[in-house]
Amino acid sequence: MNAKDIAPWQLASAYLLLILPLTVILWYRIPILGQTALAVLRMTAQLVFVGLYLQVVFELNNLWLNLAWLSVMVIVADVSVARSCGLRLTRIALPLFAALLLGAAAPMLIFTGLILRCESLMDAQYAIPIGGMILGNCLRADIVGIRTFYSSIRTSEKSFHNSLAQGALLHEAVRPFITDACQSALAPAVATMATIGLVSLPGMMTGVILGGASPFTAIKYQIAIMIAIFSGTSVTVTLGIRLTMRSAFNHYGLLKESIFKDGGES
Amino acid sequence: MAGSDDIALLAQDLSLAFDTGAVLEGFSIEISGGQKILMTGPSGCGKSTLLKCFLGLVVPKSGSIAVAGQPLTPATVWSLRRQIAYVTQEPDLGLGNVRQIVERPFHYRANTHLPNYFERLNELMDLFGLGSDLRDKDVSRLSGGEKQRIALTVAMTLDRPILLLDEPTSALDVRSRRTLSQYLQSRTDLTALVVTHDTGNFTFADNIVHLQARVAGDSE
Repeated sequence: MNAKDIAPWQLASAYLLLILPLTVILWYRIPILGQTALAVLRMTAQLVFVGLYLQVVFELNNLWLNLAWLSVMVIVADVSVARSCGLRLTRIALPLFAALLLGAAAPMLIFTGLILRCESLMDAQYAIPIGGMILGNCLRADIVGIRTFYSSIRTSEKSFHNSLAQGALLHEAVRPFITDACQSALAPAVATMATIGLVSLPGMMTGVILGGASPFTAIKYQIAIMIAIFSGTSVTVTLGIRLTMRSAFNHYGLLKESIFKDGGES
Repeated sequence: MAGSDDIALLAQDLSLAFDTGAVLEGFSIEISGGQKILMTGPSGCGKSTLLKCFLGLVVPKSGSIAVAGQPLTPATVWSLRRQIAYVTQEPDLGLGNVRQIVERPFHYRANTHLPNYFERLNELMDLFGLGSDLRDKDVSRLSGGEKQRIALTVAMTLDRPILLLDEPTSALDVRSRRTLSQYLQSRTDLTALVVTHDTGNFTFADNIVHLQARVAGDSE
């Protein structure tokens, strides 16, 4: 371990920095004081729990425990995407789980197996942080992509129906909407790749440097993780849309209102 | 009386409920091949919804629909839509420029049997006064009349035996109305069901159906 440890009292001093945003919130009477306090408490509690849990996971480095932990992360991402997209969890949970699992697992396994050449593909030290980074980015991209896809079909119903009336099969009628959704979902990742290193030092690179590695080793990790994230997001967004479509459209090719949380049952 | 093979559109004992609170119950209509039928009625009485029923874009509460002699079901809807060309009221053409929009449907598998569509499309666009300078214009910048004429030219180029038109002249100028009227009159083989308030423009129609839905709760 090359990174300096932080003593509890030293960490407590980090909370002093909160004086700055709290001053802004109070001065301008921004109505998010309660939310902010809750968010800081949740962040602390969640990270303390994860830290303790990962300590155990890393020490045991058991394949099944690692798989279980990654599965929990996928389930949490699954619920989070469905909620943020305004879709009914019961209708899309399973296909979305499959999309997230495949989209995050494939680049993670290539990272640990092909790039890092780890002895075990599921080595906790690598699989969990790398899987988590990929999944976190997939989650953000899926929310944008899936929400854009379903909401634009709903708001452009006339244009979508027009395509069906012109003889389009379902996959032909949804194609422009998938293109639009994927563009919205992938654009932030493309923009990040284009500006990385210039605007900010990315998280993984910072972590590797703090861990004691040379900046050149750090950039190699960063390049590989950026590509893995981009691959993962493209797979989860397209798969997420494609797989959820099966329960979102009826046999006439019409979007079911019942998949939306604010839609009626059908 | 036409034989069942010759019936292009058939609705039997149809019941529909609309967002306006109106309901249409026990509605039936039979349109033979080649007939031109006009449909009138007050706003919100379900004329547009009825057209959508023939395309499987609205599923009625009860009753049955048949197109070209075949019952409309989840299994047949995809092939039966290929029998019908449809122009909606105030068409939403989607995103892109005019060229992309007019060409898009001809890339669908259902329409790849129309290899000479481009010539026919240009011919009809000229007929409806849609100049070549319009082709690269974004559809969001088109007027309502231009959108309606584009939708009509695409529908006609699809060369389907049945035409469903929803207020097709609402944004058209006198010249375009005349062009549409002449086109429909000249195509004796074409079956057309036209929702319109402008019956004077379609004097050649075989029949006029007046639709009257009732408000839920009314005894009549």
